[in-house]
Amino acid sequence: MIQTVRKTWIAIALTLGLALAGPQDNSLVVGASQEPRVLGDFWNFITAQAIASEIENLLWAGLEFIDQDGNDQPLLATEVPTVQNGRVKVTDIGDGKKRLEIHYTLRDDIYWSDGTPITSKDAAFWFEVGKHPGAPLQDPTYWERLKEVRVIDDKNFVVVFEPAFFYDLVGSAIGLAPEHVMREAWEATKAEIAKLDLKKDAQKVTDLYHKFISSFASPKALNQGKQVFSGPFTVRRWVPNSSLELIRNPKFHIEPPGGADKYVQKVVYRFIQDTNALLVAILGGAIDATSSVALTFDQARAPQLTRRAEGRFDIWMVPGVIWEHIEVNKFTNVQSVRDLMLDKKETRQALTYAMNRQGLVEAFFQGLQPVADTWVHFQDPNANPNVRKYPYDPEKAKAILAELGWKDLDGDGYLERKTEDGRTVKFEIEYVTTAGNRIRERTQVFFQNDLKKVGIKVKINNAPSAVVFSHDFFSKAYDGSWKGLFEFAWLFGIVDDASVFTCNDLITGANLVPTPDNNYSGVNFGWCNDEFDKLRAQAMVEFDAEKRKQLWHRMQEIWAEELPAIPLYWRSNPYVIKKGLVNFISSTYHGSFGYPTTQGWLIGWEQNGAQKIYDQADYATPVR
Amino acid sequence: MLAYTLRRVLQIVPLLFFISLVVYALVALQPGDPLEALIFANPRITQEEIEELKKAYGLDQPIHIRYFKWLGLALQGDFGLSRTYAIPATEFIFQQRLPMTLLLSGTAFLLAVVIAIPIGVYSALRKYSLADYVITFLAFVGYSTPVFWLGIMLLLIFAVWLPELLGRTEPIFPPGGYVTPGLDPAEVGFWPYLKDRIWHLVLPAFTLSVISMASWTRFMRASMLEVLSQDYVRTARAKGLPERVVVYKHALRNALIPIVTLMGLAIPGLFSGAVLTETIFSWPGMGRALFDALVEKDYNVAMTALVFLALLTAVFNLLADLAYAVVDPRIRYR
Repeated sequence: MIQTVRKTWIAIALTLGLALAGPQDNSLVVGASQEPRVLGDFWNFITAQAIASEIENLLWAGLEFIDQDGNDQPLLATEVPTVQNGRVKVTDIGDGKKRLEIHYTLRDDIYWSDGTPITSKDAAFWFEVGKHPGAPLQDPTYWERLKEVRVIDDKNFVVVFEPAFFYDLVGSAIGLAPEHVMREAWEATKAEIAKLDLKKDAQKVTDLYHKFISSFASPKALNQGKQVFSGPFTVRRWVPNSSLELIRNPKFHIEPPGGADKYVQKVVYRFIQDTNALLVAILGGAIDATSSVALTFDQARAPQLTRRAEGRFDIWMVPGVIWEHIEVNKFTNVQSVRDLMLDKKETRQALTYAMNRQGLVEAFFQGLQPVADTWVHFQDPNANPNVRKYPYDPEKAKAILAELGWKDLDGDGYLERKTEDGRTVKFEIEYVTTAGNRIRERTQVFFQNDLKKVGIKVKINNAPSAVVFSHDFFSKAYDGSWKGLFEFAWLFGIVDDASVFTCNDLITGANLVPTPDNNYSGVNFGWCNDEFDKLRAQAMVEFDAEKRKQLWHRMQEIWAEELPAIPLYWRSNPYVIKKGLVNFISSTYHGSFGYPTTQGWLIGWEQNGAQKIYDQADYATPVR
Repeated sequence: MLAYTLRRVLQIVPLLFFISLVVYALVALQPGDPLEALIFANPRITQEEIEELKKAYGLDQPIHIRYFKWLGLALQGDFGLSRTYAIPATEFIFQQRLPMTLLLSGTAFLLAVVIAIPIGVYSALRKYSLADYVITFLAFVGYSTPVFWLGIMLLLIFAVWLPELLGRTEPIFPPGGYVTPGLDPAEVGFWPYLKDRIWHLVLPAFTLSVISMASWTRFMRASMLEVLSQDYVRTARAKGLPERVVVYKHALRNALIPIVTLMGLAIPGLFSGAVLTETIFSWPGMGRALFDALVEKDYNVAMTALVFLALLTAVFNLLADLAYAVVDPRIRYR
């Protein structure tokens, strides 16, 4: 009896030990605050979650990937197609539109995890499913422009876009899906869809697509071995709401320096939704590294963590692509926009001078989240560092406002002016943001105070995010649903095309200013600049990176002068990483959005012989 | 009695219909819908394209049409797919979440009963003693401690502070989750697996039980004191019965009746889960599932869970009423 009890405890100690010990058994435990719903939804029919993309990087390889410096690198393809190497053919098709033919060659040494070679058929299959009528596509324009995947032979195929845009050449142009595994289920799904009326039974068709995906991508399907993999890891076991265990894929084609056995053999994702509990798990030593979806900015700076970090963890702040800013309503049919002259760039400049953005990031973030000058990230290869900047200068703000005719007429400390139709209006501006977001609410009060100093009264009008981001509120600024300032964030990846600030898309002919005329489509709240639109139309079809950069530079100059919105700061993503773990590296654009798993085959423990190839310090600021 | 029961069962049908209607309307009338968030992933998307997607998800129809469509399918036993997980809503709730919730809330319930009743009795028997004051004080502390704070503190103490103090590398109790990641009963055997599961259950079950423990202790004390002052207890003492028999046979049994009612009312709550406790301890239960489904507007999951809870409440109310008739001969239903 005693014997059995002792054995039991040894077994527990062993299993716990295994779960806790990263370097000892060459494994890695990653803590995440979200869990993927499915893994391997190659068409994003069900969802596009950041945590799913991060983990999918470990499981499926793309044709190319974006490296830590934001450059394209080949992965399953032999080389990155460019105009220079003859793999990209650009044809003018009139109206400023271009057609793009991209020739990919697949490597000879690439296999799915079951040993089947990866071929052009897998690309063609991916295309076939996504193009099938009734597919619930979340980016319909992309699929509309993707005209053809022409198979030449087993290892060569051509991808055709029309009209094509520059970002079709950034990262993998298309995806792949294992045809030999998924074909049978797809034929059955197709047969079911054929029995339905696409218009009348749209919802049933969507359900069929979802069932098709989940029969390969749900935890159950993956645990039953229904899917194959092309990345450095495969799924061993997924226990929903708890953990996901991945083990090294021996069929993966890249051998890291020194041999794959020197690198991590097993990756375990632990899903802990409550970030405070996640923080405790890190402190308790149960976690080796955090995911891109884990701790909040404030938690990563919490003294409980920083005090215990010495000699155990590194804490990094990686500048991210989430752009916190204040949108300004510029629709002159809204009375208060006319009264406050928000459509005039001078007003927006005065507001920006009056707001101490540097003071804000110092006070709230120890300067770890940098002030933004335009909508283009400073790490973006196209960033223009020489645009007009707006340092905190209340005197200048006051001078501009005085020139616009604002004066404290009644001595209450706030500015007034007489309008053309003889009314006296006070400079009282509405400021909307998501209620319950503590940082935003504190930011509001901070700026409310700043603006008061120049005589501007701020009226706070917050509501929960479901309310402020609903179509009737968010998109209907034209009708005055919100009347002044609206603070929120955009996520600008490496393929940003400035559509957020485009008035007329001169290529597609679409108007991107939300008004009743276009059924409130688009997110440009009333800023139309012809030169900006023209430059953008040129840049969209400029496939020469250097030439595009020139156009992009000029666009940023215009933007910084006009200030269609007030740029605040770039959010940073915190990472906590145990000492000794190497190449689990995040940068602004690694894998497009900073995923540390992008080059997963290189992740390892230094003490087990893994070579440190990248230094996180080159891409992030340490927290002390 | 039988006629009464049948009548009550039949009443449940329109009641459920009405509840499902109200719940569906409340869920559907929340501001925003799941597809509007797409604009943040893809600012280029046009309103027409969003409308197309709404059709694909059946969100283009007016609420009443959607409700009757849902009802028609539900009556045939088809509760639809979870929009977020792409598996049947019933599979998600009844196979994945409900068992986990029952395990946690059932354990917490038992823990509360086993601790609250003896302490309540003890406290009543030693009214105004030091022990009584201490118990009363602790009961008030327990009752007014916020669950989220208690949960995090327990995690900190048992997973971080104590191990650090004792120089241990493993936590005394794990920082959340319901099983050690990667632990497979097929590999380690049944008993170590069971122990691991129990090890993970201790802190969340304790946290969840604290409030009911505290309040039931107070109820038990009050109820016991009331019974102890009854004439028949005095009579029992007067005829020279030993104190043990007076307390446990005459007083306790009667004092338990209101407590049993209180506990009976708590039973449907066992199924609904506890959002805060589940969140802090990463416990995949119903509370969290329902909360997420409402936030992410996963209508099928939210509806299935809420209608199921409504059904449970109705059934347990009926059972409680019937139990009265069985227990108390003065009550007769016609």
